[in-house]
Amino acid sequence: MAMNQEELLRSPAVWQPRTVEEAVGLKQSLGADSAYAAGTTLLRTQWEAGTAAVPKHLIDLGSIEDLSGISETENGLRIGSMTSLTQCRNSGLVGERAPLLADAVKAIAGWSVRNLATLGGNVMYRVGDSVPALIALNAELEWRDGSQLILESAEEWASAPSAASRILTAIRIPGGDGDPTSNAKRFYAYHKVGRREAFTPSLVTVAIQGTLEADGSISAIRIAAGGGQTTPSRLTRAEELLLGESLRAERLQEVHEAVLDQYAPKADPFATDLYRKQTAANLVAAALWTTSQSTAAKG
Amino acid sequence: MLLNRESSGERWRIRPDGPGKVTGEMPYLTDLSAPGMLYGMVLRSSCPHARIVSISTEKARALPGVHAVLTYADVPGLNRFGIAHPDHPVFCEDRVRFIGDAVAAVAAESAAIASEALKHIEVQYEALPVLDDPEEALLESAPQLHEQGNIQHRNDYRYGDLEAGFAACVHIVEETYLTPRQMHTYMETEGGLFIPEENGRLTVYSPTQHGFMDRMQLARILDRPETDIRILSSPIGGSFGGKDELNVQPYGALLALATGKPVKLHQSRWESVRAGLKRHPMKIEMKTGTDANGKLLAHQVRIVSDAGPYSTLSAEVLNFAVEHVLGPYRFGAADVRSVCVFTNNGMSGEFRGFGGNQAVFAMEGQLDRLAEMLGMDPWKLREINLRKPEDPGPLGQPISRTDGVRQVWEALVESRLWQERAHEQSQTVGKAKEDSSPPWLKVGYGAAFVMHGAGLGVGIPDPAGGRLRLAKDGKIEAVFGYEEFGQGLIASIEQMLLEQYGFAAEDLRIVIGDSDVVPNSGSSTASRSTSMLWQSLRRLRAPFKGKLRSEAAAILGLPEERIKPLDGGIRDVASGELLLSYSELAERTQEEIVSETSFFYPTSPVERVGAHFMYSYSSVAVKVEVNTLTGRVRVADQFHAVAAGPVVNPQGYLGQIEGGSGMALGFTITEDAVMEKGLYLTKNLDTYLVPTIAELKGAFEVLPIEELPEGDEYGPRGIGELGSVGLAPAITQAIYDAVGKRVTKLPVNPELLQEKVVF
Repeated sequence: MAMNQEELLRSPAVWQPRTVEEAVGLKQSLGADSAYAAGTTLLRTQWEAGTAAVPKHLIDLGSIEDLSGISETENGLRIGSMTSLTQCRNSGLVGERAPLLADAVKAIAGWSVRNLATLGGNVMYRVGDSVPALIALNAELEWRDGSQLILESAEEWASAPSAASRILTAIRIPGGDGDPTSNAKRFYAYHKVGRREAFTPSLVTVAIQGTLEADGSISAIRIAAGGGQTTPSRLTRAEELLLGESLRAERLQEVHEAVLDQYAPKADPFATDLYRKQTAANLVAAALWTTSQSTAAKG
Repeated sequence: MLLNRESSGERWRIRPDGPGKVTGEMPYLTDLSAPGMLYGMVLRSSCPHARIVSISTEKARALPGVHAVLTYADVPGLNRFGIAHPDHPVFCEDRVRFIGDAVAAVAAESAAIASEALKHIEVQYEALPVLDDPEEALLESAPQLHEQGNIQHRNDYRYGDLEAGFAACVHIVEETYLTPRQMHTYMETEGGLFIPEENGRLTVYSPTQHGFMDRMQLARILDRPETDIRILSSPIGGSFGGKDELNVQPYGALLALATGKPVKLHQSRWESVRAGLKRHPMKIEMKTGTDANGKLLAHQVRIVSDAGPYSTLSAEVLNFAVEHVLGPYRFGAADVRSVCVFTNNGMSGEFRGFGGNQAVFAMEGQLDRLAEMLGMDPWKLREINLRKPEDPGPLGQPISRTDGVRQVWEALVESRLWQERAHEQSQTVGKAKEDSSPPWLKVGYGAAFVMHGAGLGVGIPDPAGGRLRLAKDGKIEAVFGYEEFGQGLIASIEQMLLEQYGFAAEDLRIVIGDSDVVPNSGSSTASRSTSMLWQSLRRLRAPFKGKLRSEAAAILGLPEERIKPLDGGIRDVASGELLLSYSELAERTQEEIVSETSFFYPTSPVERVGAHFMYSYSSVAVKVEVNTLTGRVRVADQFHAVAAGPVVNPQGYLGQIEGGSGMALGFTITEDAVMEKGLYLTKNLDTYLVPTIAELKGAFEVLPIEELPEGDEYGPRGIGELGSVGLAPAITQAIYDAVGKRVTKLPVNPELLQEKVVF
């Protein structure tokens, strides 16, 4: 009886590696019976829902030093993968240098979840609501496979995730202060639409980051969309329509069409495809229109 | 005067159970444990509809740490429960009818073992066709779910010549309204602790809205005298009707008695969703017509209500809906036909508003549509057709007379929000918000009228009463059989004893929720508790204070007229000096000082089952903002006028209207327990979405109208449900005002309101 009960009551073993190398080594030796654990907020819901089995071994990435924290680099920001969503949200640096990401993080889950959940975990989810923002920001993911450093764009990761035992160590966001003498203006927008206003799974998320020149033309633009179980990806046709162009109403209507056309949401019982497409197209067009209005007002 | 903290002055009190609840210090019943207790779990059906071929429990029994595995064969008494119609199997014998049906239950030394044991119970099912549409269930060809067939209940009501009425109509509106399967979503899921006592009795610590009803039902299942069972039922972490019926109690009781050990059961949210009650989804077809001036001439209603697999109070809910699709209006002729149907969907049952929410959504929707045809202000159309104080009730029955209808109608017109609407209408033609707001945000206003019955109604035993007693330790005990599930019942008892009796809070001990001690005060349902408390205390005041006074007079050797029981004890009438504390009085009195009252909730002198005598009235105005990019609706501002007699407890009153409205907002824009082929698709709170503070942060005003006619004996009418009823039609009218689209199905589908953006 004692044996049986012990077996039943045994929680997963929690391993606390001190280094990335050690963690990767553990993962390789423990194999399929193990899982990396960051904030564990997503894993918990999967265990409860029965969509993932509780593994026998949890490898706690929280015990590895230097995986969390936000720092300024020559080329932008570096956010450690174990940085909590709350830390991202409260960070002055993120607010200043990547306000698009700050907006995205605010829209993820609720307060208590954001305290535990990490940016790295949200990226690893692949359909996490930070991913469209990171794609729009042209963020780079920094991985380590043992001692080897691997760099990959957020966009690539979302389109083809790797199942390797490598560990996401940081998210790098390009863009310094910019040229202070330039008249170009950076603009951004993040929208998440769910079935309620807060603490909600998303139906549609869109993220836009661009640069508007003094003459009203767009010199850079990245638009990404995801939502629900839809893999976040760029809306390149809309981008092409905008690059080098000004934000005229007719052009925005074409952008609307292009989003309807290219955005391919995954279905669930709670919203139709048409609704998701129309929402993404409306939000993108409206965000660009808002940008044009505020520029016009200032000009 | 609007009701809020400032306007309430000293009447705004910290509730006695507040600090313990806010800090988490106060244990709920599902937080309790006992030494040596076992963990109980229930095996629920894996099919929405199936024949049970066999049940084998051997392997589960053989698991170490398992103390009992029970099935229908282990139920000593009636293997059924149900407050009004006991047709819900405790354990299914040969057939399961929904995904929450119980087949077996386990008690084990740990939750993990119990959970493991469930997996070792082998049940062989033979799937049967799933009836997931009440209208299909009505077809003759449909499989029959019960011996009586698939019709749980019918109720019709008609008067006047309908055909002639419609023939005389100038305007007729025909519409079909659909309402969602809403979940109560109490924070505390169902559970309890069940202790077999050494003396052979059973003690049950488990939330319910009527301890004595649970005791009766458990006695029937256990085949034991009611007096062998003690029910402790408060405090409760929310109920809203959802814990009125038995839930886990039969399993806890049976397992505790089978094992001779304390057993704890506490459902996960997943199990609560699967097995628990929901609001009846209803399809309400209405055809309503007026003459050229807006006078309502004819009203035809067809209601189909989805009961799910078993009865609980489905028939009573349907009766309530029949009464409330007529509501406060006078028609030349009316014809209501209704049917409640058994299906293999989730269990429907008691839920705040009790069929009124669905009925009023439809009824008010008709008036808004007719007003548009008439080119008339919708609120004016209501005025033309509202009942007069002397008119009979919706079912032709005599009702308690108040001027509530006129009062709340006028209050809405005078409200800040409705004045704002009038101002907007005079200012602009278009509906764009302020100039600064983007073109895709559209604003609209809407209002609805509610007349809501309280009490259980004609033909249903509806006892009331309570006891006041000076305890040995000098505390004045107020003993009632009502339950505290968050509404502020304890605070209301205290406030009444302070204000009406002159006692101090420290003089009091409030005793509720223990069937060994409390009198049968009836259920804490149907907006009745505060009302019945008020009437009880009114009846008890003279006798109880009289006894305190005469006993004290004898002890003090003073004439009775010179002394008075007040705060702290017996005081000198003239000087206010404390002459004898309550503890001294308790010590020195020869006889126990106690007064008890028992009576019945007032009913209308008619035969019509369920007809109400007391009603509360409310008008609701809202302002909404529709974002046409996403089709999402935000309620920006609300006004509720409530005519329900005196405000007993300002905080509780405001809480009921605000909280009710929050639930109604969920009913209208976010909540639906979606089912497909008898299975829930929304299995947890990550897909079943109740409103959060982000939805509820709009402005909110409550205007209580306390005035009652001279000589009124009934005092406060209920307000526990009222706030949850009128919001939906007010919102859908405001949506129409904003974007010109009629919503007929709740929750509102954003896709309907979405438009392609144009600049």
